[in-house]
Amino acid sequence: MNKFCWPCICTVSLLLMSGCVTVEKGPAIALTGDIRVDGPNAIAHGPARDKVLWEYRAAAADMRSGNYDQAKQYLDDALLSLGGVFGKDKEARKARGYFNEEARKTFIGEPYERVMAYYYRGILYWMNGEPDNARACFRSGQLEDSSSEGEQYNSDYVLLDYLDGLASTKLGGDGTDAFQRAVAEDKKFHKPPAYDARANVLFFLEFGPGPLKFASGQYREELRFRVPPSPVHSAVIHIGGQTITAGPYDDLGFQATTRGGRVMDHVLANKAVFKTSTDVAGNIGIVGGAVALSQRNQTSQEVGLGLLAAGILTKIVSASTTPAADIRTWDNLPRYLSFASVHLSPGQHVATVEFLDFAGQPVSSLTKTITINVPADKQDKVVFVSDTSITPQTI
Amino acid sequence: MNPTLIKYCNTVAIIATVGLLAGCASTGVQNPSGVPVTEMRPDERGFVAGTGVESQDLVAVTDKMARSILGIAQIANAQGTPRIVLDPVKNETRFPINKDIFLTRIRTQLNSKSAGKVLFLARDRMTTLEHERDLKQSGQVTANADPHVVEFKGADYFLTGSLQGMTTKTGAGTSDYILYAFQLIDARTSDIIWEDSTEIKKQGLEDAAYR
Repeated sequence: MNKFCWPCICTVSLLLMSGCVTVEKGPAIALTGDIRVDGPNAIAHGPARDKVLWEYRAAAADMRSGNYDQAKQYLDDALLSLGGVFGKDKEARKARGYFNEEARKTFIGEPYERVMAYYYRGILYWMNGEPDNARACFRSGQLEDSSSEGEQYNSDYVLLDYLDGLASTKLGGDGTDAFQRAVAEDKKFHKPPAYDARANVLFFLEFGPGPLKFASGQYREELRFRVPPSPVHSAVIHIGGQTITAGPYDDLGFQATTRGGRVMDHVLANKAVFKTSTDVAGNIGIVGGAVALSQRNQTSQEVGLGLLAAGILTKIVSASTTPAADIRTWDNLPRYLSFASVHLSPGQHVATVEFLDFAGQPVSSLTKTITINVPADKQDKVVFVSDTSITPQTI
Repeated sequence: MNPTLIKYCNTVAIIATVGLLAGCASTGVQNPSGVPVTEMRPDERGFVAGTGVESQDLVAVTDKMARSILGIAQIANAQGTPRIVLDPVKNETRFPINKDIFLTRIRTQLNSKSAGKVLFLARDRMTTLEHERDLKQSGQVTANADPHVVEFKGADYFLTGSLQGMTTKTGAGTSDYILYAFQLIDARTSDIIWEDSTEIKKQGLEDAAYR
């Protein structure tokens, strides 16, 4: 009997040893931990499916170091991928299959991550004197927040609507509707102020560490978010003899955890059920087969052998099923988004931005100094400041 | 040598092999040899498409506008040659675009097909032109005419436009409608002497893995 089962045993063994090997797509890259090194390296040499992820990360890092032209290039490329996901996608289809991980699909991020890509690009457009294109980005960002299944917190970014209306006002249009939406959406923080059409210096502020992803569930099939506590809760800007307090308007932790369901969550749940079912069926087959094989009756042994083989095969299928959720994360996002505007005379001004803790005390290590050259023309001066910005900067 | 047993073993081996090939198959690098460049006409819809403003929209819209402008009486029957200045298009859609590209294409279409019926003024080059005039006025460079006589032409008409959009996003997909409207405005009276528009609506649905 053993003689004739060798082909079977060999095949099964081969399957166990090699059948489930996943071939890495694209070369692996050595990470240094410095995004300014890892970002460009991963974008140029890493797996294509992670390119957008690294472009997001690198763009955020460039924004904070004042390298806005480079950030623009990364975001433009990432947004092209983001806007072109319609229709059939071979890798996305495979990611839905039982035997491939979700993380094999091209990364475009969860809604809060996509929103931030548009938000940053909008800031850069405004910086370049194109408030209408900035508004277009804020509108697209708000739309990304409406993509979740069963989403009850739909398109609820206060700042995106507020800036949409501000851009419209500055372009000579009517920003009232957008402003009212922003005010209505803001249930968590202070209401945004009325528009000051004279304000020619716009501060886009961000602070605190952003949400991170992890997977839970028996097979890590459930996508979850961890929101680290933020040491900063607000900011104060000192400029031209004025002191402007800037509290948060949007909380990315809130946005990530209220994103609603994904279609992919159902797919992963089904994968998990399939994995469990095949595992249980495999156990039954192996145990039943072993019991039958132990019988002295030849027919029972033959049936037992078949059951054993089927059980092993089913276990292999179970082991090959990959319900793990995609936890690739844009890991250098901020927690809070804020905004302030002020009217300043043309010329050079020095702004000091202090980030305050929950007690309202400045976190001294985070204070930023920026020299701002306000133009004489009507163009707005856009100032982007993060609690992780590298300063002093002159813009 | 039980034939039934051999049959069982072979069946299991076949199933296992199929499992090996199909169940756990993982692919390697996609398109390892790359994808050759595909040249396409700008007015055709490519295999890379979104719901935003694309080259085929630009071509369709600007072709229509150029034809439409040439047909109006103020241009076709004008006594002199009307001078037109381009005023930037207003983008009110959710798509960031290069706004100048629409007017640039309308201008090139009109210049190439109007046989001199209209002329455009290079207002976007005024800094350079003024610098050249100043050089001539100061005698640093030669001049074929008196540089102190103002010869920069004034506009008879302004050509401008707006892009406005509506978007719907549901579980069934994303729908984007864009209204491309262009106007020719009389610089003296502010009359809108011509207006035309094109509407384009696109819908798409991403893979469930992204929803």
